[in-house]
Amino acid sequence: MTESPFDAEPDAELGRLLRERLTGAEPEAFLRRLRRVVAATPAGDQWDVLAGWARPRVMAMAVAAGFILWLGVWFASDRMSGDAEPAVQVASLPAHTVVMPQVARQPEFVTAVMEGQ
Amino acid sequence: MVARRAARAILRDDDEADDAVQEGMLAAWRAIARYDPERPFRPWLMRIVVNAALDARRRSRVRQAEPIAETLESGGLGPDRMAEAALLRVRLDEGLASLPERQRIALVLFDAEGWGHADIAAALGVPEGTVRSYVFHARRAMRKVLGVLAEGMK
Repeated sequence: MTESPFDAEPDAELGRLLRERLTGAEPEAFLRRLRRVVAATPAGDQWDVLAGWARPRVMAMAVAAGFILWLGVWFASDRMSGDAEPAVQVASLPAHTVVMPQVARQPEFVTAVMEGQ
Repeated sequence: MVARRAARAILRDDDEADDAVQEGMLAAWRAIARYDPERPFRPWLMRIVVNAALDARRRSRVRQAEPIAETLESGGLGPDRMAEAALLRVRLDEGLASLPERQRIALVLFDAEGWGHADIAAALGVPEGTVRSYVFHARRAMRKVLGVLAEGMK
């Protein structure tokens, strides 16, 4: 064994002892077993990755849509209490405000609502 | 096979180690789409296998681990040398058993497999300095246990 444990190089003698002690029996048979098992298992595909990635986006879109709907209803009810103009404000929003893939930016959303007014 | 030796170092039971390697390889296979090709593959795979072995170790902690099978070759040795080799096996097992799991893995990957500190650090998810410390302490403990016996095997 190497005299100093500080050595930055692998200790050849200790390494040999460890390899001899830890190498399992019949490595080829084990490799065959591994290959068989892996071959019978479908690999994780891109859909797993996309699903993991899309979940937060879908949640954000749902929150944004809910928020827009709530604001639309709120504005509409406000209008109903004042004069008798058409109530469904949401319908006048530009389409991109509703289908944006992330949470709507507030100034853009407010502008759209104001234009609707 | 590196992964198998690392799993055996953690579990010290042939069957459990083989099961853990198989479990780790399958987990890696299923997660292959999540592998970032910009990063080295070997530490990524080893990390999954090591985690599988550590999980298996936690699960089986209540059970008594059986000693590793007799694999150290003694062919061609006389009775004295065979006794010495048997004693060396016992000491080697004692030494490995006395090490914390991560020190054991670092020692095996560094000295037995010739991995660099950076790869071991990536496989264990710790800084390189920690790996150096693991190897230092593990070697010191093994030297204490093996001492003169290891010299006698040369």
